[in-house]
Amino acid sequence: MTVGKDVSGLFTDVLKNMHTDDLEIKKLIYLYLINYAKTQPDLVILAINTFVKDAEDSNPLIRALAIRTMGCLHVQEVLDYLCNPLSKCLKDANPYVRKTAVMCVAKVFDLDANVAEENGLVDAVRAALSDSNTMVVSNAVSSLAEMNEMSPQHNVWRLESQSISKLLTAVNECVEWGQIAILEALADYTPKDEKEAENICERVLPRLQHANGSVVLTTVRLLLRYESFVRRADLLARFSKKMVPPLVTLLSSEPEIQYVALRNINIILQRHPRLLSKEIHVFFCRYNDPIYVKYEKLGILVRICSERNTETLLNELKEYAKEVDVEFVHHAILAISRVGIRYESAAKKAIGTLTELVETKVDHVVQDVMVAVAEILRHYPGKFEAVVPTLCEYIDYMAEPQAKASFIWMLGEYSEQVKNISSILNNHIESFMEEEDASVHLAIINSAVKFFVKQPQKGQTLVLKALKTATEKCANPDVRDRAYIYWRLMSADPNAARAVVLADKLPVEPVSVDLSPALLKELICELGRVSSVLQKPGSTFVYKSMEKAGVPLDSSGMGQDDAGDSEDGAPGASAAADGGAIVGGAGTTTAGEPELLISF
Amino acid sequence: MTLEESRAPIIQKHWCDDQSIKRASVVVVPAFARYLRSVASAEDAEPVWAAPQGGVCVHIQRGEVIYMGVVSTETAPLEVIELLEGVSQAIAEYIGQVSELTIKENFTTILQLLSEMVDSGRAVTTDTAVLRGLVAAPSLVSRVIENVSGIGMGAERRPDVNTSATPWRAQGIRHTSNEFFVDVVERIDAIVGADGAAASFDVSGDIECKAWLSGMPDMLMTLRNAQALDDVAFHPCVRLGKWEAERRIAFVPPDGAFRLASFHASADALECALPLHVRATASASGLDNTVEFGVEAGQTGGRRIENVSLRVPLPGLAYNIRVQCSAGAHTVSSTRAPQVDWTIKAIGPSDRAARLVVHYSVRSAAASADASPLPAASAASAAFIGFEVPGFSASSVKVDSLKILRESYNIYKGVRYVTKAGSFQLRF
Repeated sequence: MTVGKDVSGLFTDVLKNMHTDDLEIKKLIYLYLINYAKTQPDLVILAINTFVKDAEDSNPLIRALAIRTMGCLHVQEVLDYLCNPLSKCLKDANPYVRKTAVMCVAKVFDLDANVAEENGLVDAVRAALSDSNTMVVSNAVSSLAEMNEMSPQHNVWRLESQSISKLLTAVNECVEWGQIAILEALADYTPKDEKEAENICERVLPRLQHANGSVVLTTVRLLLRYESFVRRADLLARFSKKMVPPLVTLLSSEPEIQYVALRNINIILQRHPRLLSKEIHVFFCRYNDPIYVKYEKLGILVRICSERNTETLLNELKEYAKEVDVEFVHHAILAISRVGIRYESAAKKAIGTLTELVETKVDHVVQDVMVAVAEILRHYPGKFEAVVPTLCEYIDYMAEPQAKASFIWMLGEYSEQVKNISSILNNHIESFMEEEDASVHLAIINSAVKFFVKQPQKGQTLVLKALKTATEKCANPDVRDRAYIYWRLMSADPNAARAVVLADKLPVEPVSVDLSPALLKELICELGRVSSVLQKPGSTFVYKSMEKAGVPLDSSGMGQDDAGDSEDGAPGASAAADGGAIVGGAGTTTAGEPELLISF
Repeated sequence: MTLEESRAPIIQKHWCDDQSIKRASVVVVPAFARYLRSVASAEDAEPVWAAPQGGVCVHIQRGEVIYMGVVSTETAPLEVIELLEGVSQAIAEYIGQVSELTIKENFTTILQLLSEMVDSGRAVTTDTAVLRGLVAAPSLVSRVIENVSGIGMGAERRPDVNTSATPWRAQGIRHTSNEFFVDVVERIDAIVGADGAAASFDVSGDIECKAWLSGMPDMLMTLRNAQALDDVAFHPCVRLGKWEAERRIAFVPPDGAFRLASFHASADALECALPLHVRATASASGLDNTVEFGVEAGQTGGRRIENVSLRVPLPGLAYNIRVQCSAGAHTVSSTRAPQVDWTIKAIGPSDRAARLVVHYSVRSAAASADASPLPAASAASAAFIGFEVPGFSASSVKVDSLKILRESYNIYKGVRYVTKAGSFQLRF
């Protein structure tokens, strides 16, 4: 607003205009005061008179404004003058003033907890829990919760079972934001017995039908947390059934909301894997979904697929594999192999889908398919090798080491299936030194040895050539060592070599994408909150815990208006990360400078 | 906090203590701006992003403006998103077109709005009906007078707070004629395969009302086929108990336009009957591609489908685009993102299928590899379809009766139905 200029010099002049009748100007003056009060704490006292007078104005809007601004000033000097009008406003006839006053108590508490306690302000907020106006009740809840958070040692408030019923009444009547505050408080409460838990769940159930997604998600969090307290199976089943439609509805809102909902659904599904199996179609990706939504949907699709809907899902995944985004296609093809590995009944279809995809002859698709097919074959030994000859036709499309390694592994494993195997392997051995990746080298040696063990006559020259190249020319010690081991093994005892090389492989377990049980438990409790979206425990991003971990809050050397300027911001950011080595040095020049609330 | 497309903050407002403010504006915001620049397009930026220095940025993009909130403690990001959504809607309602310029012009109004909507970091209200009572909307007249005379107009009208049991409705409203209109707007979200079969099909809708009623009327709305509604979210004025018990909607309406309910039709009650059948066949020979679309009316209860539109985004390397259609009109835009638009005013239930044929050639990717570093699509693979069917309700929900209690006057009532395409996509 001030275009970054420091206008604290005008403080006294602005103060003179404070008793204007114009509400808009009054608001702007108050805003100015909030900005600059900290630099001129002595002069703020001059404004107190007007504040106190305004706090008794006939217009409730002005009364509330005065109280709110005095709280926001955040200056110790004002505190003594604030308590009196504040206690009056807490008993004001107008609920708008009362609810503003209730919030103001939290600000006073933040400044000086003892003052708030001694003047009975906190008690008044506790009493406000039984206010006749629901807006006041919900604000009292958020105010108390905030005070709890500020200083847990003061033990400001614990939800008692006698106030539960009042909150349950209020939650159904107040505005959405109040509902969230009350639901949050209830979700953190530990019910004293089963009956109470059932009652609370029953009463908040209608909240699932709210247009505000946050209300819905907080209610879901509450229900999932209370699950351990409710024992009646029929009730639990009913609660889960009620949860489904609102979650589905969230997915037809804006992409940002979808994203948060999807991240949370991902967690819920790890607790209740069958919850949404019927609704698989709502997770189908749209052409114009943002990429972050697509990834989440893909993850959930694989998670919720069941024996019955694998066919639908595989068809759907095939469509995704035709899209443009390489990374997304990669994940879609990987998902196909996951589905195939998880359900034996779907494996055939998965292989079929993958063969169809390879026919598109798009480089990256072919490569991803190779990896995916190899994974499925590895999981079902001796079942689907008929596909290998088909894949051999697409040998020219491969460039990525992982795809090549997978392909060569298949060659060795199913050498009986491939007619011209000697020439293919020979080509690969010829170009051995052109390969750079060790995984390809290892695969070539491995396959050559397998081929030799299975068909000694045909493979003899090949395997010697491969091992010779590997031991003599390769720089990678891993590759050389492997080649030596094979060589010695085969020259020492060909039968032993056979037993080792063609040993039964251990079955591959499907790749688990689940969170650890401990983290899952924590995240279920924090459902709908930041940590559940990031799927990390809260301590990794919350300022306060970072502060404890030694990351300093303040980074100095900052101008006041550089928020938009990355060149200025960059050193500050790194300073904070490095441990803020320059805090002391620049502090003298910037510490006194006011932090602007608004900057252009 | 509002960020503009250029990634520089326009407005910041803080509600917490000094340290966090400093951290947020000095460290987190620039980091976020850098992150935004690092992703290909702002739409692809994750809405909830953890800054490496601690703190979490939650943002939404509406139009050219990005609304962003910095979260420093464990809160619900959805609450922040919903709040930002509320803020964006309120700002839009107050100042109309939202852009960097209009935000700067109406700076004080927005500031007042923000301080009413959020108090010490907690959302208070986003209901524009309530906000209207607290913050005066900027009007052209007052601005002209202010500019000419230099005197503010604010003193003339002091907004007052409404703290009755029905905060959405003021006392003592008078209208000369009492009218109540209901619009049932349904949207069909579907993904349709090339053969015309729906891969996913979903109906959601809103009951939009316009009420100009005097006094404190108590309304009772009965719906036919209410069991088809799976998930219903009501305006706060609706008494939920009545709905739970009798499946009837009882409410004291706000004055003016409001959304009474939004609902989702349950999948069991629908038989996937698409009102519009669309098919596509794509073929390619070398770098020349052809896509053929066929569109005809589906099950609409004998009603006409209006404003049918079909948009085909073509690959960025497409050129030599030729289009033929058997009905309606088409436009071809061959800019950096070429696309074909096809519109038909109306399709009757017994009309013959309308066809659209699009030919285009694609420059080989190698020839223009320097132009675009990203892998480009080699062929079109999806089309977006729009249509509306007036008088038709896809979920078969109808307003059966609308009664007014407590007030004795007669009201003029009207109900309209329309089914539109929501996110209706054809892929081939």
